[in-house]
Order: sequence, then structure tokens, then C-alpha cells
Amino acid sequence: MKVVGITTQQEFFVGSKERNFRINEFLIIEDTYQGPLLGEVVEAKTYNRYIPLNINGDFVDNSVLESLKSLGYDIDEDTIYIAKVRLLNEALYPVQTGSDARLPKFHEIKDLMLKTKKEEGLVLGVIRNTDDMAVEMDDEYKNLVYTFEDGILMPQKELPYIMDIRSMHQYPHIGVFGGSGSGKSFGLRVVLEELMVQGIPTIVLDPHYEMDFSEVAIEESNNLPNFNDKFKCLQIGVHVGVKFEDISAQDLKNLLDAAGRLTDSMNNVVDVLFKRRDSYHSFANRLQMLSEAQEEGSLGKIEQRIENANDDEERKAWKARLDLYEAYDKACPYSSVRGISWRLRRLGNDGVFSKNIREIEEGLQNGKLIVIQGSTRILQVFSTYLLSNLYHKRREYKDAVYKKTESDYFPPFIIVTDEAHNFAPKGYDSPSKSILKEISQEGRKYGVFLILATQRPTLLDETITAQLNTKFIFRTVRASDIQTIKEETDITMEESKRLPYLRTGDVFISSASMGRTIFARIRAAYSSSPHTINPFDELKGKVKEEDDKFYNLIINKLPINDIDLVHICMDIEKEIKYTYTVDALEEKLIQMVDKGYIEKEDTIFGYRYIKK
Amino acid sequence: MYSINDELKERITDLNELLEGKYKAILGKNGQELRNFIEENIGKIQHMKKLDNKKLKSFYDNGGIVGVDGSNNRMGGAFPHFVEVYQALAKSTSRKDDSVIKTDIYAPLIELDENLLENNEKIIEDKKNIKLSNLEVEAALDSIDKFRPFAILMDGGLIRYNIYAYDKWQELKTRCEEEGIILIGVIKDIKTSMIGDKMKELNPEIKGRIYDREMLYGVLEYGEMILIQHSANKKELEGYASVFLRSSLQPSVIGMDIIESQREHIEEMARLVFTLTPENSRGVPLWLDIVDKEVKITDDIMRGLMERYMDRGIYERFFVSERDKRA
Repeated sequence: MKVVGITTQQEFFVGSKERNFRINEFLIIEDTYQGPLLGEVVEAKTYNRYIPLNINGDFVDNSVLESLKSLGYDIDEDTIYIAKVRLLNEALYPVQTGSDARLPKFHEIKDLMLKTKKEEGLVLGVIRNTDDMAVEMDDEYKNLVYTFEDGILMPQKELPYIMDIRSMHQYPHIGVFGGSGSGKSFGLRVVLEELMVQGIPTIVLDPHYEMDFSEVAIEESNNLPNFNDKFKCLQIGVHVGVKFEDISAQDLKNLLDAAGRLTDSMNNVVDVLFKRRDSYHSFANRLQMLSEAQEEGSLGKIEQRIENANDDEERKAWKARLDLYEAYDKACPYSSVRGISWRLRRLGNDGVFSKNIREIEEGLQNGKLIVIQGSTRILQVFSTYLLSNLYHKRREYKDAVYKKTESDYFPPFIIVTDEAHNFAPKGYDSPSKSILKEISQEGRKYGVFLILATQRPTLLDETITAQLNTKFIFRTVRASDIQTIKEETDITMEESKRLPYLRTGDVFISSASMGRTIFARIRAAYSSSPHTINPFDELKGKVKEEDDKFYNLIINKLPINDIDLVHICMDIEKEIKYTYTVDALEEKLIQMVDKGYIEKEDTIFGYRYIKK
Repeated sequence: MYSINDELKERITDLNELLEGKYKAILGKNGQELRNFIEENIGKIQHMKKLDNKKLKSFYDNGGIVGVDGSNNRMGGAFPHFVEVYQALAKSTSRKDDSVIKTDIYAPLIELDENLLENNEKIIEDKKNIKLSNLEVEAALDSIDKFRPFAILMDGGLIRYNIYAYDKWQELKTRCEEEGIILIGVIKDIKTSMIGDKMKELNPEIKGRIYDREMLYGVLEYGEMILIQHSANKKELEGYASVFLRSSLQPSVIGMDIIESQREHIEEMARLVFTLTPENSRGVPLWLDIVDKEVKITDDIMRGLMERYMDRGIYERFFVSERDKRA
């Protein structure tokens, strides 16, 4: 291998007659003047000057090449391999043309590729095309992970990719980008698994109900971590919710806004009507009474109601309405009061106000991974409240430490969400966006970090995107998203051209802490998503299950004559408390014949169903 | 827009008519008639089979095939301000990383002959042919020592070596005969006129010279060859036997020479040429194309050589013509 052609301080070509190059491979250039230089292959090509599309205008056919081979000349041997190589660090002078190039030894690149010990980092996968160096790597880096290659579980052959989680202190926040089916959710799962291994408190917003880690995916290996006591799935309205008594007017406005966009006048209604320490009921009640009073239309009419009241109770109630009417009617238009009222009820019906976030806080304190599940809409509402609540708890603690005052300990934590563009959209405001933005800009100081995954980086808020110091970029096909990725990361032209063709699970990791882009493959996850079963397999399985059940039910009743059908229906009803009509039973029997479970035969008395 | 002068159009049209008129009598013959004429007067037309890999393997076991070709390129302006470089290559199919390269150079400024003060194209052309032919024969000779091949394929007809490199050529012929190495030449552009000459003999009304390439265009089927009889071949007198063959789907025909003493191998060698020629090509064996490509001194290489290894001052003073400076 030699440096050929015109060179610069950054880029040059290396040619070889024997060895084909792979993209993202490392080479050491023995420059006679500048000493050894480390470069990375950014483009690989092969060329055979005798098999271009034609030679002197002639198309070469295979039989002639075969004949030449018999004569001892193999045209393939004249293939040359060319790599475009970029230096990791710019050289002082252009690289000397003619310098020898060679593959690096493990110890020469160890510091570049493996910045952390496996115990202190997230073991996320392998660095692609490093198998030559991996042969001599230290034992501690061997056999850490498995990868899936073409659907088969393979032992580790390349250098592991270990992400330095501690470097998040300087380079906070991670973005995970990639189209659907690119391995993005799967990559996120692996990241979460590693966070659990490290015992880092983590909040996961899971609109897809997929972040369950109890199912084991790799059966071949036996010493895999068990996550059962390391994570907790909590559903909004079932396990967790907002404690109404604890929220501020601003929280409430955010919540209501998520249920349905608030107008200025509605915001005003909340400001005016909401009292500190209000309960859900007291606030809902106040809204209700005011709107009833407003429905009457005037002070006089309400007074009339008081006069005409049937009993004291009713009179008292109308008196209260009158007070509210006098106090708030001017400031709160009827339609706005109604608007707040239905929004509040909508949230109430979702169960948002029926629980609290204690379980989440406790989980975090214990270093667990907490998965919050709910529909996207409800998650937006809840996360707004939850994240600002938790973030401020952590902030209070840190500020207290700084001011040397007393405060309860609250741990640093990581917030993870898929479909992040829903939580922090570009172009318009959303309640969850403001808290995410705040964390993206200041979270580093308080040890609160974001991992945001999205298939549409273009739709993610730009301020937040700019704060993502590490980016995992999976296959991306959309031109606009590739453009965004090009602008927001340091991936090169050549790499961006490869984005649409990446294999599922292959990823460019552009990391400020590494200072360069690494081409890696995400390891096989230890756990599996509940959504991995193919819906068509599921359908098939379900149908088979039903058929078997029915077959077992009738097998002992065979043969069944056509005149017996009524009795059979009655027998079945007795047995399993399920009523078939004669027609339904007959239809089912015909189906069983079609599927080959039983047979139908004609007799002199009609027909009957018999065992096969 | 391109505008083409009307006069020029007319001249081309006239040329077309003239050619048509001149060749009507001969080219008007139908194919079969011509084939009959050839069979009677020139030689037998026979069909060739490609050699099988076993046969080729036996060639390989006996030293493989060597292809020999030369190339030249000129840099500079008009006489005597130019340099011409020559290069000949002998490349063996069996030894891929090892080939024989011979080079030479001609600069009239250095070898200025007092008698040659006037620019004499004929002499320069001869000089070129002499240098190139000698280089090619030298390369072939060296290849015998180096590879001991089964056969040597020269690019072009053999007869020119008689003219331009007589002594060395005799040496090569002798060695090939002694050591049993088959020596052939493959001629892309045949320049003979045997058929036309024969026709003229029989029918004195035919005027002018009619070349074999014109006559044979489209006459042979793919894979057919004409084994030229003794009496029809002028080259025979010089000690060569020849065939014409159609080695590709293109209707044109190529020629092949072999030294007379090796006549017995002529069919086998014609089949070898046929086997090594891609069917969708101009009819040249791929091996010679590969050799040609490797030996070729391109303009870029030539310029690179001059600029890299010659002082700029000298280069500009002697060899950069006004034409080169036109951008």
C-alpha cells in the first residue's frame, strides 16, 4: 500500500495491488518527513484497467477471459484498489507521495477508539471494519457483545464501541436520528439497557408501549443482565398522575393547553379563578358554578333564583353563585369559562389528576429506569408537568448545595424519549417544548441530560438540536432530513451519501467527545420489544388456536349427523357456556372440513361429519 | 450551430460516387461468386473451431504465449525540434509481473545529420520504423530467454522486420526455429492486394489497385479463414505463410503471418487468434490489446516525462511549439 497521486494536508489516495479497502478503516501512513500519520478511509474504489466497460472500444466477453486464464493470465489479478484517506489530524505538510501505508496495530489506535473501560461506559456495539485490529486487542474488550448479521447472532469480531457516559458532563445530550425500520428504536433500547446496567436514574417517555425489558432476546448466552428489578413501567392515569394540589397556575395552564389550545382569555380565566392549594374538585366546582350563574344572564335573574329557592340548601348554593358572578363575571367571559371547564374535565377523565408522581421519584432515587406510558397527547401533558417538577427538584438540590443550605437529595437523571419532534416541535410552541429547551440549555449544570430520538430531525426544535452533542445517525432516506443532519453534525459528504443505504442497525456516531464520526453497529439487545411479532404470524397463530379449541370441543361428539346439530348446540352450551346457533355451528363445521380437520360424508339419511 | 460549406458537401458526395463507380465491377459480384473465385485462386476457405481450455492449458504448460508490441510518441514541433520516444513490450500470459520492456529515443537535434538539414519525412519515418522494429525484435528475443514461451505473437505483419531490423530478425527467426517457438504476426490492417491482383491477371480490364481488405469485407463468415496458397502469396518468397481470418462479428478481416518453416502450425495458430478475440470486437486478440494498452506512451505520460525530467528552460527553448501553447 502506497500513497499515490496528488496529496494535501488532509486528504490523499492510497493504492494497493493486493488488499481491498473498506470504508472507515484506519491506515497508518509512514511519512518519511512527518513520521507516522493516522488516517481513515472515506472512500474505497477498485479499478482494473483491462476490464473497463471496454478496451479500445471493444466489449470483452467472458469466454476470451476464460481462455486467457487457461493460458495463465488472470485478468482479475490486475485489479488495483484505491482508497481516499483523510487524516484524523491535519498534517503540517501535504503527505509525501509514495509513502508506505499499513494497517495500524491495536495499541496505536486504542486511545482513539476506546476512551473508557467497559465498566464505566455504555457498551453499545462494535466499531465497523476494525476486525484486523481487534485480533490483538486486550482481553477485557473481547466477547462483550453479540451482533445480528443477516438475522444470525454473531460473536464479537470487531472493537467494541463504548460510549463514555461521563463525558456527557462536558458534552451533554444525545440525539438519535433515523427513518422507520433503521434500527433507531432498537438502538434506543440498547442505550437504555446500558443505562440500567450502570444504574443511572432515567425517565423514558414511551408513547409506543414498547420499552419493556422483561423478555430475554438472546437465549444462547447465560450470563446476561436481568433487568426485571431495574425498570418500572408506569401508565399515566393508572399508576401515576398529577397531584392537583401541588400544581401552580402555570402548570395548570400548560396542562389545559395540552388538552386543547388555550386562548388569551382562557389563560386569564385560570389566572383569576385558580387558587393555590385548590383541589381538582374545588376548582372544577368553581368553574361549574360560575358558568351556571353566567347562564342565568344577569344579577337580577340570580337574585330571583335566590328568592324562589325551595329550601335553604338551594338558596345557599345560589348565593355562592351570586358571589362568584359578582367577583368574576367581568374578567371571565362565559365561553372561556366553559372552555376551561371541558378541558379540565377531559384531563380528569383521563385520570391525570387521580394519582401522583411519588412512584417516579422513588424509582429515580433508587437508580431505576422509569418508563412512562400513555398516548402521545397525554404524555405531552404529563411530561410537561413531570419534567419541570423533577428538573426543579434536582435544581433546588444543586442550588442548595451551592448556597450551603439544607435540601433533600435528588439524583441526576436522564430523560429519554422517542418521537421527540412531538415533544419539542420546530416552528410552534408546545408546553413540553419549553421545559425540554430549558433542560437542553442548562441541564448540563445540574446533571440532567436528554436522549431524544426522532425519525424527523427536520421537525425537531433547532435550539434543542444544536445542543445535542452526540448524535446517532441511522439510515435516513428523506432528503430534507439528510440535509438537516449534514448541517447539524460533522458527518462528511461521503458519509451523508451513504445514509440512505445503511443497513439496519448500522449507525454513524458523531460525537463531540470523540471529535470524529464513528461508523458502528449496534449490538444485539439483551431484551426484546413486545412489538416484534409479525402481525400476520400473530393472525395465523390466533386462527390456529381457535380452530384447535373448536376441534377439541367436537372431537368426542363425532360423528355428527345433520339432524343432531341442535343437540350438539345444547351440549356445547352446557359445557362451555357459549351459545352457537345451528347455522353458526354448521358454518364452523364446514370450515373445519375445508381446513382438513374433519370430513363430511353423505349417507342414505342425509350427511354427517366424521373424524378424519 | 455548425455550418458546413456546400462545396465541401459536394466534394464528399463526388467521392462517394467515384468510389462506387470504381468498385462496381468487383464489389458488384455476389458473395458466393467471390468465394468461389477465392477458393479457386487464393486458397481454401475453411471454418475454424475455438481451442478448448485443455489445449490452451497445454500451451501454458509449454511456456505460455508472449505478446509483443511497440509504441512511440513525439513531443515538440516541426523538424528538428522534437523528441520521439519508443517503447516495446513483450508480455507473457504465464508470468504476469514480469515483462520485457525496451526503450529508445530519437532527437534530431542531437543526431543532426549534415545531409539531413532539410526536413526529410521519409528518412525520419524510416528511422522511426527501424528503431521501433529493432526494439520489438529485441524484446521478443529477451522474452525467449526469460519466459521460453510456446509462441510469440507480434503485433503487425512480420515482413516489415525483414526491411527494418534484418539482422536481429534473422537471429530471432533462427532461435525460434531451433527452439521450437512458434512465431506469428497478427495484422489488424491488412495491406495486401492478392485477390485484386489475381483478378487483374485474369481480366486486364480492371484498373487500379484493389486491396484485400476492400474485397474481403463481409465475405467471410464469423470463424472462417482463408489458407493462402503458395502461388498467390508474394510474402511466400520472403519466407512466410499467411492466412486471412474473420475473428469477430465485425465483417472486416484480419491477417496472420507465420514463418514458412512453421507452416504446419498455421491452422492451430489461427485458431488461437480466433479464440483470444472477443466476438464483439474489432477482431484483435485481447492479449495484444492488453499489451498495446500497457506499452502505449500516452500524451500525458510524454508530457509528464518531459516536464519532470527536463529543465524547464531547455524544454521550452527546444520543444514547446507554438501549437502547444494554444490553449
